Amino acid sequence: MKGKLACAVLMAPFFVLLVTVFLIPTGTAIWLSFFAADQPGLGFGPESTVFVGLRSYAAVLSDPTFLNGLGTVVLYCVLYIPLMVVGALTLALLLDSGVAKLRSWAQMSLYLPHAVPGIIAALIWLYLYTPGLSPIIDLFAQADIEINFLGINTVLPSIVNIALWSNLGYNMVIFYAALQAVPREVLEASVVDGAGPVKQAVRIKAPLVRGAIVTVGIFTLIWALQLFTEPVLLSQSTPMISARFSPSMYIYDAAFTRNNYGLAAAASVVLLAFTVALSFGVTRWTNRKAA
Amino acid sequence: MRLSRRTLLAAGLTAPLAACSTPQRRGAGGPVEITFWSALRGSQQVVDAFNSSQNRIRVVFQQIPSGGQGGYAKLSNAARAGNAPDVATIEYPQVPGYAIDGVARDITDLLSERVKQKILPQALKLTTFDNRVFSVPLDVEPMVLHYRADLFEAGGFEVPATWDEYAALARTVRDAFPDRRLGIFPTDGGMQFACYAWQAGAQWFDTSGGKWRVSLADEPTQKVAAYWQELIDEDLVFRNAADSKQHDAQLGQDRVITRLSGAWDAGAQMRARPAQKGKWRIAPMPIWDEQVVGTHGGSTFAVTKDSRQPEAAMEFIEWQCTHPDALTARLKSGTSSQYPVAPGLVEAGAKAFPGEYYGGQDIYRLFQREADKIRDGWVWGPRMTATQKVMQDGFARAGAGAGTVIDAMREAQSGTMPDLRALGLSTEEGAR
Repeated sequence: MKGKLACAVLMAPFFVLLVTVFLIPTGTAIWLSFFAADQPGLGFGPESTVFVGLRSYAAVLSDPTFLNGLGTVVLYCVLYIPLMVVGALTLALLLDSGVAKLRSWAQMSLYLPHAVPGIIAALIWLYLYTPGLSPIIDLFAQADIEINFLGINTVLPSIVNIALWSNLGYNMVIFYAALQAVPREVLEASVVDGAGPVKQAVRIKAPLVRGAIVTVGIFTLIWALQLFTEPVLLSQSTPMISARFSPSMYIYDAAFTRNNYGLAAAASVVLLAFTVALSFGVTRWTNRKAA
Repeated sequence: MRLSRRTLLAAGLTAPLAACSTPQRRGAGGPVEITFWSALRGSQQVVDAFNSSQNRIRVVFQQIPSGGQGGYAKLSNAARAGNAPDVATIEYPQVPGYAIDGVARDITDLLSERVKQKILPQALKLTTFDNRVFSVPLDVEPMVLHYRADLFEAGGFEVPATWDEYAALARTVRDAFPDRRLGIFPTDGGMQFACYAWQAGAQWFDTSGGKWRVSLADEPTQKVAAYWQELIDEDLVFRNAADSKQHDAQLGQDRVITRLSGAWDAGAQMRARPAQKGKWRIAPMPIWDEQVVGTHGGSTFAVTKDSRQPEAAMEFIEWQCTHPDALTARLKSGTSSQYPVAPGLVEAGAKAFPGEYYGGQDIYRLFQREADKIRDGWVWGPRMTATQKVMQDGFARAGAGAGTVIDAMREAQSGTMPDLRALGLSTEEGAR
């Protein structure tokens, strides 16, 4: 009985937060997406809130600007996630192998960018990317290389770069912690069997931290699908980032520029469903491979 | 106000954003107090003049950022929170949107016949929907061609009267001065492009059938798009944002020698580049074959749904739009060259406008002639800010060599339709 009570008390904060910041907002969004304040005809009459069924969903899914935004984040994920996972794992393996000197110093400096809030990080990079302000662009210009980080084809890689800078260290720490848990006798056995440091890293260590790789992969995927802060800030400096660049930006624009709550709510639900489906798919796929 | 679930929820969502707005106040026994928001230059002077002209109504003015810079978001958020100002400034393209959202009050019955008579009917038509008036126009701004008279003279150029002449001159300028251009294709110029299309006879939005018929890429628009596409492809115009440091530099360094914008821009030009005093003149917008023009810019005043003093608000609006003292106060600020909707004010405007910047040219006489040429029948859409954004995203890509101007218009149409459908409006897609 006492155990159960302790359990309830300890779990309560989790459930309170789950309900208030996830279930209620999600429920509200779903509910909102089925209603709209309608005026018939040209829309200048008095409005009344009516049930509109799937109308807002039909509008979202037939909106090429939303689908383009979805395409943009998918492309962003394709660029970002492999780079992130491979990069963080490589760094963790290097640190773990003892090749790197000054290990704790390296760990610290790689992790530090993660402590910078996303909005500040985006501001720093906005400064570095903006022609006329950026010392980097000036430096290239002195070598007669004209570089535009915010051009039509470079803007997405530039955003990937910000995300990598922010999150590489964090994920590296996760991998590094997982690598610490690899049994030393397995590694010793591989050395006896003639594996060099590279072979040991690729063939022994990496497969043993598979669980961590999947976790990092899924978290990164979910985070990436919600792409918002970086493009919003960069959009100040380039017309190549539209107001509906990513689904999250589309939702923001629908609610606060277009004053269209039903549409914003429907788009949120579509994004949620897309994210859940994709992470579920990835989990299933990796589990089956493991089996 | 009517409290609905939507308003409450929205208020919760936007409370932090709206916290900075001023609450409604009522003078106790004294004069009626009304609040007024505007981004228009010289508004403080106008308000001061109004407050000292009588003692029944006291206007509390708040300068807010221009619409695109956050002014419209501020107004929408305040309206959601139920504390919009009594009088709000809304540009023509945004009037139908605010009318549909119920922010701008139906003022048909508040607007006196006397005032209606004083206002150009083509301006009032732009704020009238379904036979109901939703805001009172302040100024109407025919597009004009601002040009550098000194550079025209030095180069021996003639002021282009038609678009063919404009293109030919653009070629001459580029050939004679490889680093100069006659003008720009503004990649942030959804409103300039709307004006070009308006002039050519486009009908982007049509409400005559009781539905919103949307045709952002109709035949006249295609003609205009093809024209600018050719100038872009032949590198006869610069392709960048008009509202940018880059364009400021182009003008400051004599690299762009004409500008196409509304009559109001003459004042903005004086303020932005005082050093070029005496070098600019203004000519009519080039035409196709008919003697017609479109408008670019211009503002209107709406009484909001939250106003508790609509009559007082209306009285202030009428004074601002039709009283010579209001125009004189605004023009004396030296930053405005608005062309008033009340033809009776043109004399006052011509007198109050400091003319030295334009070498003594009687620009108000010119504006008057141009205002009479505004093509009848244009209608703005229900979500013009969003439509314009999608359009400009396409323009930016077209300027960078990816896609074309007409592609941008088609994208704007396909990005607008879902929005209107989700609002529950009756819609129809026209030619595209």
